[in-house]
Amino acid sequence: MKSRTVALVLMLPALLLLAAVFVYPLLRYGWLSLHASSVLTGLVPVPNGGANWGRLLDDARFWTDAGQTLRFALCSVALELVGGLALALLLHRPLRGRGPLRALTLLPWALPTTVMALGWRWILNDPHGPLNAAIRSLGGSSYGFLSTPATTWFFVVLADVWKTMPFVALLLLAGLQTIPLDLEEALRLEGASRLQILRRLTLPLLVPYISLAVLFRLAQALGVFDLIQVLTGGGPAGSTESLALYAYLNAMRFLDFGYASTVMLATFLLLLVSLGGGWLLLRRHGLARTTERAA
Amino acid sequence: MAARPPFSSLRRQPAVVGLLAVLLLVLLSASGQKALQAVAAEPVPIRVLMPAPLADAVAGPVARFNASGSGVAVEVIRGPLDTETISDLAISSLLLGEAPFDLLLVDVSWLPKYVAAGWFLPLERWFGPEVLAAMEPGARLGNSLGNHLWRLPLTGDTGLLYWRTDLMPRPPRDTSELVAISRDLQRRGRVRWGYLWQGRQYEGLSCVMVEVLQGFGARWWDAATARTQLDSPQAVAAAAWLDGLLRDGVSPRAVANYAENDALQSFAAGEAAFLRNWPYAWREIEKGEGPVQGKVGVTAMVGAPGEQGGGTLGTWGLSLIKGSPHPEEAVAVIRWLTGPVVQRQLALEQGYAPTWSALYDDQDLQSGAPLLAVQRQALQHPQLRPPTPAYAQLSDLLARQVNGMLTGQGGAEQTMATAQRQSLQVLRSLAGPSGSGPAGP
Amino acid sequence: MRLLALLWSLGPLLWQLRTSLLRPEALVAPLPEGNPWTLANYQLVLSGDPPFWQYLANSTLVGLATTLLTLLLAVPCAYGLQTLRGPIRWGVGLALVAAAMFPTVLLFLALLEIARNFGLANNLLALSLPYAALSLPLAVLLLRAAFADLPGELEDAARLEGLGLGQRLRFVLLPLLGPALASTAILVFLASWNEYAIALTWISRSDLLTLPIAIARIGGGSVFTIPYGAFAAATVLGSLPLLLLVLLAQRSIVSGLTRGAVKG
Repeated sequence: MKSRTVALVLMLPALLLLAAVFVYPLLRYGWLSLHASSVLTGLVPVPNGGANWGRLLDDARFWTDAGQTLRFALCSVALELVGGLALALLLHRPLRGRGPLRALTLLPWALPTTVMALGWRWILNDPHGPLNAAIRSLGGSSYGFLSTPATTWFFVVLADVWKTMPFVALLLLAGLQTIPLDLEEALRLEGASRLQILRRLTLPLLVPYISLAVLFRLAQALGVFDLIQVLTGGGPAGSTESLALYAYLNAMRFLDFGYASTVMLATFLLLLVSLGGGWLLLRRHGLARTTERAA
Repeated sequence: MAARPPFSSLRRQPAVVGLLAVLLLVLLSASGQKALQAVAAEPVPIRVLMPAPLADAVAGPVARFNASGSGVAVEVIRGPLDTETISDLAISSLLLGEAPFDLLLVDVSWLPKYVAAGWFLPLERWFGPEVLAAMEPGARLGNSLGNHLWRLPLTGDTGLLYWRTDLMPRPPRDTSELVAISRDLQRRGRVRWGYLWQGRQYEGLSCVMVEVLQGFGARWWDAATARTQLDSPQAVAAAAWLDGLLRDGVSPRAVANYAENDALQSFAAGEAAFLRNWPYAWREIEKGEGPVQGKVGVTAMVGAPGEQGGGTLGTWGLSLIKGSPHPEEAVAVIRWLTGPVVQRQLALEQGYAPTWSALYDDQDLQSGAPLLAVQRQALQHPQLRPPTPAYAQLSDLLARQVNGMLTGQGGAEQTMATAQRQSLQVLRSLAGPSGSGPAGP
Repeated sequence: MRLLALLWSLGPLLWQLRTSLLRPEALVAPLPEGNPWTLANYQLVLSGDPPFWQYLANSTLVGLATTLLTLLLAVPCAYGLQTLRGPIRWGVGLALVAAAMFPTVLLFLALLEIARNFGLANNLLALSLPYAALSLPLAVLLLRAAFADLPGELEDAARLEGLGLGQRLRFVLLPLLGPALASTAILVFLASWNEYAIALTWISRSDLLTLPIAIARIGGGSVFTIPYGAFAAATVLGSLPLLLLVLLAQRSIVSGLTRGAVKG
């Protein structure tokens, strides 16, 4: 009884700060989303009877952005998972210079997103960037990496994968380190190939780590903001605009706080739905694997 | 499990202690610095936020002003060049409630929004109607709203057309000539591209649209009804012309991702015959040692055959921030910074267009600032961007639609129809407390 | 394989290094006559107003303050959470995981209002408040896992010897948590060093900008032509401290995430 009180008191300061920073904003957005608060109301909230939500449902741009954000997140997470797994397997092997190798491959994750977003803008520059220079030297002509709506989003995904793949690799590396070496050895003695070991032993045991990485990265990717703001500004033709960027523009550029709050809250709800869906999917998948292994 | 047993790195503890010590030191030195600064402050500080190029341009005069012993110390804060970026910066400062500046150099397109947000103090107490009357017609626009004067213009810039004097004897008179000259030069292999402009999805594309719409006899904004008119046949023709520039190869596809500096960079490298840009580009080309230095002429923006062309009005002016602790001193700085002495220097050294009519008649200035005549001509028919607090939204959605057209997402007619429909939706939704309701089709 | 991984990770950075050392003309034209290499980009960045090292100092200050504050709050919280049983522990744990995954950009508008109403704007130390909150969930989860790893008899023994809670934490538990504290501290420091959305809205004075904002602003154009050279120089200068940190602390980072992943 007493130790429980002590525990709660110890936790209180942290929980208060967390409530102020995570819970209050959501409540505040809920309240603001029921108000008009824009340049035309002098930035003073005036109740507008849920009109923001009506506007949201009718806002083609919001739904386009939602689709684009989802596409970005799914592609990005999928590529990160594959690349991250490969990197983790590489870093797990007892190679010479593994420490420095780990550190150097980790570096992209440690750098601020905006820093390399601008770096990518230069690398993908049309026509002066190195990538286009390489294409030209091979006899091709410059490609507008950042000015072609059909493909620009993919290069944004690539920049994101470059930055966050090491993080996924680290999580999976953590998982790899929990797999007892003798199990692997036993399989090898049975004559299993490396691919078979990967499929029958490593992957099933990694499932919790993969789930964790997927959920974590999915949540972050669905909130993608700084990378896109700096790399493309949402262009060309809005083809890379994410929900978070749209919310930011509504607030900071259009000074429409009521609608910005609505967009943010809606983004959060979509996030919950996506994560819930992803979790269910993973769980079923994970269970299937476990049963498969048991069989 | 983890690479190490858990007890092996107690050595790291000193590292944590070290970090704490460093933090303490930093804190102490920071507060010490503040105390020193407080002692030194004597003249009234007036802070002005400006885009970096203008901040650099006024650095000399400001230094002289501060040395003149007027009791005011002007401190210019250099903001980013890009109009949207500096507006974002200004807005986030103002939203925070303690703007770190007393004066803001305001682009003509921001004014309605900032005034509606209640961030400025009106200036008519200090400046009567005779002040604006002494300026060129274009410079008088976009400073007053609702019977109040909110801004005093410092520059009279408009969008201009740059052309290569080594490739053609005279500039084109209309858009058809511009295209014809471009294609001829391209066919003869004299130049890679014809016309470079700003097609990126940003506010600069809206400035281009204002000019093209004007050039084809269309209007973006109808002041009488406070509505947009983007789906008129003329407007569609204007958009179709821009689209055709890319499809016919007069402009590179990459234009769809060009901002001012990208277009200027390519033009300065000698890659094109024409460039749409602001007056500053002239000095940038002339002061570099690029292949086109000394081979560039400037003219007012051209329209379609038989139409009056006009450049987008891009004037900058000073506004007084509400809540400035020293409004009187700040107004004195406005008076001095927008005065003829500073404007003359800006014209001579940086090529900015003055706003005072008298300066355009000044013989010395005419000889020292070769663009002056063109700039005055451009100020007779400048084009204002829609003067509404919702301009940012309108500009954003038009730029989005037009950029979509340029990158092959739809034809001109569909593009402009969508832009018009969305514009009306935004205007309706902001029209009042209940107006932001479902503005469905 | 190793080479490929290194090329992928470092290639873009090395290209930035090359860009930063080239004269601006050499970036857009096929190499002009004369020596294309220069240090001018670095001089430009370091002699800016404010000079570049100021941003590094700002980010360092925020990072250290955040790390300190986070650890001060997270250690008791993790200990408390570890001693709890039942639905509260479960609920708080779940809430922490949810908060750790929350995309922080969605918070900026409400936090901006908080900054305005409480006068927290343009204050680097105040900035560490939201930063600490953003880092807390992960920090608590990591440290709780570390507490769980400690043998329970240790604390029982200390309690029998009459040590109070504070003393037990200070003299028995914390020393054993060294590695976990170190790796948590590094992760928190990295997170705050790299944060963008909140710094963007809380800081408007240019002499107080943190590194990510300052660099994004260089890209936003402080000069007419695209300052890719100067920007690349800023990238290189801004990356060096992180390169050092990651090289030195690689083990801590890996083991920290390992621990968190196992128990989280």
